[in-house]
Amino acid sequence: MLHRDTAFKISMLLPLCLLLVYFLLLISSQASFFSLAAFFEQLSSGDLRSAVALSLFAATISSSLAIVIAIPSAYALARIHFPGKQFIDTFIDLPMILTPIALGTLILMSWNTSMGRLLSNFGITLPFTVAGVVLAQFTVIVAISIRMLKSTFEQINPRHEQVARLLGCTAFGSFRHVTLPLAKRGIMAAIILTWARAIGEFGATVMVAGTAKGQTATLPSSIYLAMSTADLPKAVALMVILIGISLLVLFGVRVVLEHKS
Amino acid sequence: MKQFAIHVLIIGVLNFNAYATGYSPVVVFAGSASQPPLEEAAKAFEEKTKIPIVLHQGGSGAILSQIRLTGQGDLYIPGSPDYMDKALEFNLVAGTPTTIAYLVPALIVAKGNPLKIQRLADLRRKDLRIGIADPDGVCVGLYAIEILKANDLLDKVRPNLKGMVESCAKAAAMIPLNQVDVVIGWREFAAWRPDTMDAIILKKAEIPRLAYIPGALLIGAKNPEGAKAFLAYLTSREGQSIFQKWGYLTNESDARKFAPEALIGRTFSPPEVW
Repeated sequence: MLHRDTAFKISMLLPLCLLLVYFLLLISSQASFFSLAAFFEQLSSGDLRSAVALSLFAATISSSLAIVIAIPSAYALARIHFPGKQFIDTFIDLPMILTPIALGTLILMSWNTSMGRLLSNFGITLPFTVAGVVLAQFTVIVAISIRMLKSTFEQINPRHEQVARLLGCTAFGSFRHVTLPLAKRGIMAAIILTWARAIGEFGATVMVAGTAKGQTATLPSSIYLAMSTADLPKAVALMVILIGISLLVLFGVRVVLEHKS
Repeated sequence: MKQFAIHVLIIGVLNFNAYATGYSPVVVFAGSASQPPLEEAAKAFEEKTKIPIVLHQGGSGAILSQIRLTGQGDLYIPGSPDYMDKALEFNLVAGTPTTIAYLVPALIVAKGNPLKIQRLADLRRKDLRIGIADPDGVCVGLYAIEILKANDLLDKVRPNLKGMVESCAKAAAMIPLNQVDVVIGWREFAAWRPDTMDAIILKKAEIPRLAYIPGALLIGAKNPEGAKAFLAYLTSREGQSIFQKWGYLTNESDARKFAPEALIGRTFSPPEVW
C-alpha cells in the first residue's frame, strides 16, 4: 500500500520536475549570450526605466480593468439564465482564439471607422499612445479572466447564496458577503494570471501602440527591438530584467495574499 | 509597497504627457533595415533641435499597414523602395521620396567565417544551412531569390534553404542565434554586430540589383515642418556620417562600386514557384 502511495506521488511529481527542468533549461540557455556589461548598461538606460515603468503601469491598469469587468460578467455567465447565453459565452472567447496581432489589427481598424475618426477629431486617440498599450493588453486578457472566474463561481455551491437570501440578504448582499469571499482564491489566481499575461503581451501591443522607445515601448517590445538589430546581449539583458521583475512581483503578491488569508 | 505602486502610477501617467516639451514630436514609421543609424540620428537631431522624434520600428509592410489603418505618422522610412512604391500606390505619401542610404546584397556568416564560404556558388554545398527572409513579404528575401535566379543557382541551392523569416532584421539575427550558417542579406547587417557577423561580398556580376532606403513625408503628417527638417538632417552631411559610421553607403557611386551594372530599386517579380 505504502509502495503504491509512493509510486502515485512520484507519478504526480515527475511531470512537474520535468517541466521545471525544461523551464530551467530555457532560462539557462540565455547564459551563453549573457553579457554583464550589456546588463549594467541596460540597468542605467533611461529607455529601460521607461519600458519597466510602462510595463508595470499598463499591466496593472489593464489587469485591474479586466478583473472589474470579469467579476460581474463571469458571475452572470455562471449564475444567471438569459437568452443567448450560450452564444455570448462562446463569443467572449474570441480574443483567446484570435492571435494577438489580429486583435491589435482589429483595434486599429475600429479606430479607422467614422466613430474613431470623430473621437480623433476631439483629440481622443488610442493608436500609438499609452492608452493604446492598456487597451491592447485589456483586450487580450479579459477573456482569460472571465473564463477563470466563471469556473470559480461555478464551483461555489449556489445553496450558500440561497441560504443567505433565506436569512434576509439581498441578491447583492449574498454576492458581496457570501460568494465573493468564497471566490477569493479564484479571484486572486485570476489577478495573478492576467497580470502576468499582460506584462508579457507583445503582438497586440506592438500593433496598436508601436515601439517608440521612451513612449510606448514596453519590456517585450524592447526585447523585440533588440532582436531586430541582432543585439542578443541586449535582448538577453532585457529578458533577465523582465523575468526578474515578473517573478518578484508575482512572488510578492502570492506571499502577501497567503499572509492575509 | 504602496509607495512603489504610487511611483509606478505617477511614471505611467507622466508617460501620457511625454511629448510635453514645448515642441511637437515628429512621428516616424521606419523599417528595421535602418534601425541602428536611425536611432542614433534621432537622438542627435533631438539634441540639436529639441524636436522630439518618436520612432516606431518594425517590418516595412507591417508599419505600412499601421499607417494605412490609422492615418498617423509624419515620415515613412521603409527598408527598401518596394514598400515606398506601395505607399505611393496607396496615396499615403506627399511629395517625392528622398534616398537616405544604399543597401548591397551580400552573404552574412558567423564571425571568422568558420565554414569557409568564399563565393555565391558555395551555397550549393550540402553541408550548409541557408537562411533568407520571406520573398513574398520582405524585400531582402526577394533580392535573395533574384540573385540565385540570375546566377542559375535557384534549383541547386533550394534544398539548403533551412530558414525563412518575416523581416530582414530577423534574417540578420539567424546568424548569431546559429539557426543557419549563411544568410543572403544586406552587407550592412555585418556592421550592426561586427563582433558576431562577417559579410562576404559578392562578385560584381553576381549582383543584379541594389536597394536603397527611401524616406518620405506622409500625407497625414501633423508636423510636416518638423518631419521635413528631420528628413533633411538624415540626408545632411551630419546625418549621412551617422549612416556611414554604421557601415551604410550614402551615395550611389560608392554603391555602384559593388555592382556597376546592377539595377537600383524597382521591383523584381519572383518566379511563381521558386
